Amino acid sequence: MTDARSAILTAVSASLSRRRGGQPAPDPDSIAAEAEALRLRAYATRPDRGPGPLDVSFMERVVSPGVAATAERVAGLADFPVVVRRYLAAHGLSPSIALQPHPDLLALDWSGIETHDRPGLDEPVAVGLALGGIAETGSLVFHSGPDAPTLFAFLPVHHIVAVEANRLWRGLEDYADAGAGHPRNVNLVTGASGTTDIEGTLVRGAHGPGHLHIVLIGGAG
Amino acid sequence: MSARRSFDARVRDALADPHLKIAIERTTGNARTKRAAAILSWPSYPAVRDLARDIKDHVIANLDHYLVQFERNALASGAQVHWARTGQEACAIVVDICRKAGVRSATRAKSMLGEEIGLPHALADAGIERVETDLAEHIIQLAGDPPSHIVWPALHKTREQVRALFLARHHDPGALETVEAMVASARRELRARFQAADAGISGANFLIADTGAICTVTNEGNAELTTTLPRIHIVTAGIEKLVPSTAHAMALLRPLVRSATGAELTQYTTFHCGPKRAGDRDGPDAFHIVLVDGGRTRMLDEGLAEMLRCLRCGACLNHCVVYRHIGGHAYGGTYPGPMGSVLTPIFDGLPQTRDLAQACTLNGQCQEVCPVAIPLPTLLRGWRDRSWREGLEPATVRWAVRAWRFVALRPALFRLVNSVAVRAMPLFARGGWIRRMPLAGGWTDHRDLPRPAARTFMAQYRSQRP
Repeated sequence: MTDARSAILTAVSASLSRRRGGQPAPDPDSIAAEAEALRLRAYATRPDRGPGPLDVSFMERVVSPGVAATAERVAGLADFPVVVRRYLAAHGLSPSIALQPHPDLLALDWSGIETHDRPGLDEPVAVGLALGGIAETGSLVFHSGPDAPTLFAFLPVHHIVAVEANRLWRGLEDYADAGAGHPRNVNLVTGASGTTDIEGTLVRGAHGPGHLHIVLIGGAG
Repeated sequence: MSARRSFDARVRDALADPHLKIAIERTTGNARTKRAAAILSWPSYPAVRDLARDIKDHVIANLDHYLVQFERNALASGAQVHWARTGQEACAIVVDICRKAGVRSATRAKSMLGEEIGLPHALADAGIERVETDLAEHIIQLAGDPPSHIVWPALHKTREQVRALFLARHHDPGALETVEAMVASARRELRARFQAADAGISGANFLIADTGAICTVTNEGNAELTTTLPRIHIVTAGIEKLVPSTAHAMALLRPLVRSATGAELTQYTTFHCGPKRAGDRDGPDAFHIVLVDGGRTRMLDEGLAEMLRCLRCGACLNHCVVYRHIGGHAYGGTYPGPMGSVLTPIFDGLPQTRDLAQACTLNGQCQEVCPVAIPLPTLLRGWRDRSWREGLEPATVRWAVRAWRFVALRPALFRLVNSVAVRAMPLFARGGWIRRMPLAGGWTDHRDLPRPAARTFMAQYRSQRP
């Protein structure tokens, strides 16, 4: 479809040129400068979450009604399996989990729990490690990769996720600016799956997880 | 679609439907309340709106630059980029990709562009099974209806109607006594279909020029299952969806989501960049992006560039007094409400769609709630003006406008007519409202008319002037 490509680009350029009254197109540097000025303007308009520490504001946000995840905090990643065991027992779930194949998770002591590394279509519980979190929105950030398959965040009914307190960003742009890499998929997960498609009534667990439990690792507390 | 019948006939059908107004009010009322709360709790919103408008205007003014940059980066990520001048061309590209890859079944995540270009029909004609995975799209696919709202396509269905539909069509529905049970039944019904699909087709909320990624926002998680499980992911996106960078997308996501649902962010905001990489355990083997013009360059030339800012949030629909009475289907196009009334004449031609701009009260609510400040009433007046100039208005309308002009240019006559009206109209009023009046049936059949003030504006003005 090379024809369509050149036809569209030619038509767009001709139209823009007419709109500029025949003035030449701006050079890439001035376009970039204008884009940068726009990017910087966003910072002053962001929702104010107060001056508190990032981990406190993140934890407030994830349990707020808009996000409605459940959350707790533990001192270190080594405590994560304990939390998972307690969660399974509290919810009457059998001790079997799809465990995200991340080396830090694989190194933990999962004794007493059967683990597998591929979530099934109706996987009851998946356990994962987020790349980080965003305090402004209470979002978890996942980057797809060999140790972080995308489907862990979408197939299970319960998703239990650890996130390190020192891997939190204040706002959406802070994550974007951090240059955390460009994986195939970036998934910002903000609460459990939901739908309002029937009469605007919110129901959780539409196609993705019905329950999201966040375990913050470390931080002031 | 019901476009073959006249606009008046479609409106009559809509107004006669006893369920429709209840259904519309349940969802849009909820949306208006939640949006208002979200905006109220964000004092910098006016500045945000200016910024969102400026980002979109910057992209539109440099659209050729960003298209080329996006294409370069998308290709570098391993995506295949296709260009389509028309919706028909876009559908042909999608069908061709599917045929070459032996696709028999395709899942779809809701995309208004897909509806705009007629992709559902094109897939059906090509014998490719189409599985809609968004809950609302699933409902209307079962019902055989077109979407009636751009965010809640099944908003015209009450819970009772959805229940009846699922009981008749789902394999294992159960009793379906609650909305929760209906959602669970749809989840069971679609679970295996996600995995069985050969291709997943999505739209894009943003095309990120500096990375070549595309961004989707959903609440259900169906988009990610649609784009991750099948071996092919096909994206169809309008060329106006570009943004310079991920950070710019973030700045637009805030007002987009608040305007659409009142939430701060959708549950799932995903940036998809190319196919499966070395070592990845999931993701598509092939990633295709179809960039669609479909009248957009024409909009640049025809005074509708501001419409290219549209983020498809649906706030103008939720706040439109006309949409709230007649619902989406009466508009007869893919996009209903104020934004649809501006867009549909571009896609379907003004002679067939001139009624849409006329069916607007010009109360300005749509512009007020638009997160990118599109001057919708001005653009609608532009279509009215053009319809007049091109001689598309029927003789009765031309005669009525000329008669009004005759009176309006003669102040004494204008005042006389007005004073007769304010004296005559109260004769029909009961308790402050006129429920029936000769020659006013077009209004009073469906709502009451307020009793006019006791004296005309001019009479009050004269008596109160110092």
